This record gives sequence, structure tokens and C-alpha cells, in this order.
Amino acid sequence: MLEIGVGEQGEIVVTGRLDAAQTENAQKFLDTIAGSAVLDCAGLDYVSSAGLGVLLKTQKRLMEAGGGLKLVNVNPHIHNIFRYSGFDHIFEIEPASG
Amino acid sequence: MRQVPDRVGGRMEKSFERTFDSLDDIFQFIESFLQTESSDPGLLHDVNFAVEELFTNMVKYNPTGPPEIELGLSFIDGDLSVSLTDRETEPFDVTQAPPVDIHRPIEERKPGGLGLHLVKKVVDSLEYRHARGTTTIKFSKNLR
Repeated sequence: MLEIGVGEQGEIVVTGRLDAAQTENAQKFLDTIAGSAVLDCAGLDYVSSAGLGVLLKTQKRLMEAGGGLKLVNVNPHIHNIFRYSGFDHIFEIEPASG
Repeated sequence: MRQVPDRVGGRMEKSFERTFDSLDDIFQFIESFLQTESSDPGLLHDVNFAVEELFTNMVKYNPTGPPEIELGLSFIDGDLSVSLTDRETEPFDVTQAPPVDIHRPIEERKPGGLGLHLVKKVVDSLEYRHARGTTTIKFSKNLR
């Protein structure tokens, strides 16, 4: 399951699994975001290639308008997937501490 | 979907409906199997990842296949072995998927096409077999 919404500081908070069954909901929410945004991944367990596609589509749209997504609190397993994809050069990523 | 998974020794098998909506059940099945042998969150992550990519490819590219796809998990000599079996399939060797240039700039990148590339990154071996219309894909994770 996946939950996505706006946190107290205006950041986007995502929890659960961004898998192929969740892309439609995630894309629908992210399509409402404009400018620059922070995506807090502290509660995100997992991103599949389908989830990467959602994030890439969003990043392309935001960057074309001069903005972009910054991913924070990214766990090491998800960070590996971003590195294997080359997405660590496409997104600003702040790993989870500890 | 069979409600009670078969467990014989260190092996479990279960069939899942040919839909993305099976993913939650698949992840639960994997976690329940792994928790008896390993508490490594990295192992759970990588197995979930590889199974999702291979399962969803079967769903997408064989939409008129039988209602269910089989998933098997076993421990062999301390390694985890995972198999996915689909029937009434056309040949497509997942081990021969073309390489992906991950260094292209964002302007040249499009969603999709990364799944098999990433599967090869997170598993220790990947095998493909196609015989009499049945596709079997196996991968392993070294636990030592």
C-alpha cells in the first residue's frame, strides 16, 4: 500500500510501497505539484521501476518549468535502485541518516 | 489463488492472479517465507523488487494467458532460489534484454525499460527457460 500527502512543513510525505499497483494514485497526486518540492521518503519502503517512471515523469515536468523534486531520507535499498538506474544524477538525493 | 500455500521442507509455492493487484499478496507471501530464515531487510527488498519486475512483465506481456502465475521460493544449500512460471507464453529471454544507458541526460530519458536491467543488478543469478509454451524464470540470492 502507499500513502502520499503534504506534511506540516509543506513537504510531500510518502509512506509504504511505490509499486506497479500504486503508480496511478501516486501520479495523480504528483501531477498537482508545481515548482520545487521536497519528497520525504523516510516512510517509503520500496520503489519499483514503475515507481521510478512516475518520479521521472514528475521530475521532467517540474524541471521544464524551472523547478524539481528533492528526495530526502532515502533508505539505502532505494538509494541503490536510484544509483543502478542513473537516477542519482537526475534527482537531488539526501540519504537517510544512520 | 490457492488460499493455503504448499510448503515442502524449505520450499513454498503459491499461484497468484494475473493482475498488478496481486502484488500486496505476493509481498506478504515472500515476507512470511523469508522471516523463517533471514531478517535481512536488504534481502527482502531485493527479492520483492525482482519478483515484482518479473511478475508484472508476465502480466503485461501475456495478458491473455491463464488466470494465474506461479511463484516458488526455496532455500538450497543456504541460498535463496525463486521461480516464476507462466504458461501459454511466447519466448522472450529476459537474460538477453538489451543494455540500458543509465548516463543519458533527463531530456533523453523516458519512463519504462529499466525493470530487467535492475533485476540483473539485485540478483546473483538469473535463468530463463521456455519449453512447450511455458516460461520459467529463476533467480537466486546468495545468503552467505
